[in-house]
Amino acid sequence: MSRSADLAAAAITVVFAATASLAAQEKPVAIRESSGLEYHVLVAAESADEVYKVAFDGKKARVTKVVNVGYQPTEVEGPHGLTVGPKGRYWYLSMAHGKPFGILYKYDAKNDELVGQTELGMFPATMQISKSTGLLYCVNFNLHGRMLPSSVSIVDPDEMVEVGRTITGPMPHGSRLSPDGLHHYSCAMMSGHLFEIDAATFGVTRRLQLDEKQPKGHDSNVKPTWVQPHPKLRRAYAALNGAAQIAEIDLDTWRVTRRFKTAKGPYNLEVSPDGKRLVVSYKTAGAVGIWDLLSGKELARIPSTRRVTHGVLISPDGRYAFVSCEGVGSEKGAVDVFDLSTNLKVASVDVGLQAGGIAFWKTVKRGS
Amino acid sequence: MTRLFAILGLLILVAVPVGAQDLTKDEIVVRVKPASITIPIGQTKQVEAEVVDIGGRPVKNVPVFFFSRNRRAVSVTGDGKVTARKPGTFKVVARAVVGRQRRGPSATVTVTVPFPEAAAVEFRNAPTRLYVGTSVRIGAVIVDKNGVVRNDLDAKLASDSDQVARIDGFGTVTGTHPGKTVIKASHRSLTAEHTIEVLANPVANIELTPNSTKVRTGDVVKFTAGLRKADGSEVTGVPVHYSLTAKPDDTLGNAATGQIEQDGRFVAESPGYYTVVASSGSAIARTTIRVVKRFKKQRKVEVIGRGSVTDTHTSDLWVWEGVDGRDYCVTGTWGANGVAHFWDVTNPGEIKKISSVTVDARTVNDVKVSKDGKICILSREGASNRKNGIVILDVVDPTNPKILSEFTTDLTGGVHNLFIDGHYVYALSAGRRYDIIDIKDPQSPKRVSSYQIFEPGASIHDVWVEDGIAYSSNWRYGIHMVDVGNGIAGGSPENPKKISSYAYPSGWNHAAFPFKSQETGKRYVVAGDEAFPFGLHTKDTPTYARGWMHFIDFTDLEKPKEVARYQVPEAGTHNLWIEGDLMYAAYYNGGLRVVDISGDLMGDLYKQGREVAWFIPTDKAGKIANAPMVWGPQPHKGHIFFTDWNSGLWAVKLSGDKQ
Repeated sequence: MSRSADLAAAAITVVFAATASLAAQEKPVAIRESSGLEYHVLVAAESADEVYKVAFDGKKARVTKVVNVGYQPTEVEGPHGLTVGPKGRYWYLSMAHGKPFGILYKYDAKNDELVGQTELGMFPATMQISKSTGLLYCVNFNLHGRMLPSSVSIVDPDEMVEVGRTITGPMPHGSRLSPDGLHHYSCAMMSGHLFEIDAATFGVTRRLQLDEKQPKGHDSNVKPTWVQPHPKLRRAYAALNGAAQIAEIDLDTWRVTRRFKTAKGPYNLEVSPDGKRLVVSYKTAGAVGIWDLLSGKELARIPSTRRVTHGVLISPDGRYAFVSCEGVGSEKGAVDVFDLSTNLKVASVDVGLQAGGIAFWKTVKRGS
Repeated sequence: MTRLFAILGLLILVAVPVGAQDLTKDEIVVRVKPASITIPIGQTKQVEAEVVDIGGRPVKNVPVFFFSRNRRAVSVTGDGKVTARKPGTFKVVARAVVGRQRRGPSATVTVTVPFPEAAAVEFRNAPTRLYVGTSVRIGAVIVDKNGVVRNDLDAKLASDSDQVARIDGFGTVTGTHPGKTVIKASHRSLTAEHTIEVLANPVANIELTPNSTKVRTGDVVKFTAGLRKADGSEVTGVPVHYSLTAKPDDTLGNAATGQIEQDGRFVAESPGYYTVVASSGSAIARTTIRVVKRFKKQRKVEVIGRGSVTDTHTSDLWVWEGVDGRDYCVTGTWGANGVAHFWDVTNPGEIKKISSVTVDARTVNDVKVSKDGKICILSREGASNRKNGIVILDVVDPTNPKILSEFTTDLTGGVHNLFIDGHYVYALSAGRRYDIIDIKDPQSPKRVSSYQIFEPGASIHDVWVEDGIAYSSNWRYGIHMVDVGNGIAGGSPENPKKISSYAYPSGWNHAAFPFKSQETGKRYVVAGDEAFPFGLHTKDTPTYARGWMHFIDFTDLEKPKEVARYQVPEAGTHNLWIEGDLMYAAYYNGGLRVVDISGDLMGDLYKQGREVAWFIPTDKAGKIANAPMVWGPQPHKGHIFFTDWNSGLWAVKLSGDKQ
């Protein structure tokens, strides 16, 4: 059996198991009242070298602070990836362009003061800290470099030193960890591979071709841009930007089990904490898709406030999705907020130019 | 992957082991053996780790992984073997993996890597002969067994015979009497010896003559010391020591006032009387000269006209004579909507915006126009499609510029600066290199070559081409001169060849402008800094940049030498232009500066009063109100045009007579 036929067969056989597994956990979604919480997120404005702190009170979103970032202010350095440490005391920012290598910055979340930095590879992008190893894993996207295998930088965020660098594929992106923090997943956009790294050994443990037909060289047709493990099941979901598909991967059999046809340019995605919803940004279509993972159906497709839709995150309580939108030219970026109980856009706030990376910071009780 | 390590599954069992599943938070610890370790460079030692509970009992099935906090100095392998690579004290961490989304406990191993034992003491470049009454500083170094110099250690120096030569604590040897002496360098039991022969100093008299007696501040005066024996005959080859005393006109707490080099060149910063002393052995000569103020008063800068831009920040400019004989200017914009503005500046008193072009970018940082006035090129950064690259325009009619093409291949990381020379465009790519693009057919550009510095962390900021030589500015790698058609190194646009380079320690090299001194024939490159140690404020608050202009003498391409600087206190440099003997410097918060760079150059031109004029533009309606931030100057037909980041285009003129 050829590799592509093998993938297709796997997709057919495993889809039923996936459906049955999710069905056991499914409960009706009820429209809920406002949660009484205020949600705080961070979003990076890539063409303004700014990070915006945005608060959403259940009705309105507002900018609470703008943090200027970077070290060569007359140049566009491109803040790209954002993540917040497990205890919420620090937030981390990957800066795409340095001289020439990119930089990882560490900020004190209380006062947004820069407290540490370390140089990574070319165009460091998406990243996350493992709660199990305590280390930060950041892909070196190398967006503008030659189509050669790039790497994942592994950083000790306590001391802000790179402690390892693992070679993966060309243009690695969409870096996310398994719920137990023991495995790291990223997609090589140009070769179409999904990579799994052991978070403790730093070694590549598995590699999966996401193209249905084996591409020649670095010429993936599906161009995966993001991967997100399921919070409860041994699954992962990859945004296949070039094919307008979402791929579901069984992490036990290491095979694609389902492919969902989407709008043009699925780019980032996140699975809700209960594992039932998938929110996808459609970068080319300028919209957001909300999917039901059990049925594999798109429940809603909602236009973004701006034309270029970018990052997605879902609040820890699963209530809201926050989506960054880039805008074009001097058009401001935006953060749109979607209520996942109604699948409606409920708020939007303008932020800086080319809003991209987005991370959840904290929730606080309203009025506190 | 250079980092090597792995899970060390610790299954150290005792009589009653406990399992990981039994544990609650903070009930286990990692123990490492040894907790500190000393490893010589190149050697490897084993480190072991075990997980125990609070009772000290081993816990099974809890893996531990290792990582080094300085993996280039100390690496750790999968089975806990630590290898030393560089001297120092480092940390290796052993961390347990307990799962359940909980970070496990850690233990740290302190790894000390001693410097290799000193193996030898060596003299470096020590002279073998010395004249009585002259001094020379000699160096001795301690090297380890690998031949690496131990910079942390100093050798003790001593002369066998103080009667022949004395040596001080800084290694300065002074000949006292003819004869031979052995200079000994020692470190513990290691020693080295170097014999110096001290010769009788034949110099009995010195005639000290300046090449000019009509001296202004900033003028470099060459003192020549003619050495003669007692019989009046000439002596050569005996070193002369120059020193200086000064009596400046302004005696109110004056600081440094002049500078003398050991080749006899002198320059004064302040008016006054200067006595230069030349000595060789017991022979001494003194010559006093009078130095007057360079300019009686600075010239004024008169504002002739403006092309205000206050809704966005303005970037670079280019002024040119159009094909219709009128004068035009193009300006870029920064952090905005990708706009370039075109201005008619034929009458600088009535600058008119005649057109604007918008491209997909947030910043059009650089703009250039071909010598024939027909083609304009724009750089793009922050394009919404992330393709960036350059845009090529037909500007035969600047009132109606037409986009001919764009070129983005391998320029997607953003083009920050560019240049046009003939039908070649030099475009920076993502701060890594410059690509040379043939635009003979401007609708079908083709890249023909690239120039990149292949050194760790090398990065480029700007490129300027003159007489077939590309001068690139490369931050900490400094200026690179590359033959792109001059012929000196056999280069061409299709095959760029490096000629020479020069870097300085700050790593702030941002711009470069070459010039040949009309008076001395020396060839210089002025290297401009860019630095924002206090940040750049894009809204509401002025910016306080830093940096200066470095004057590098490239006359000897093999041995470029930094000879002078122009440093305005409390301000920072950006772009510059040189025409004739004048340098026009965009000095960000220090405004526009016009500097006399005639003659030989040495020392700090600012302190020497070589500044001809200065002008600080302010605009209360500016993008940031009353915040001068001069970006780039260009002299054109008797006027000086410049852009200010916060207020747009300005046309000014020097008034008053040249002095």
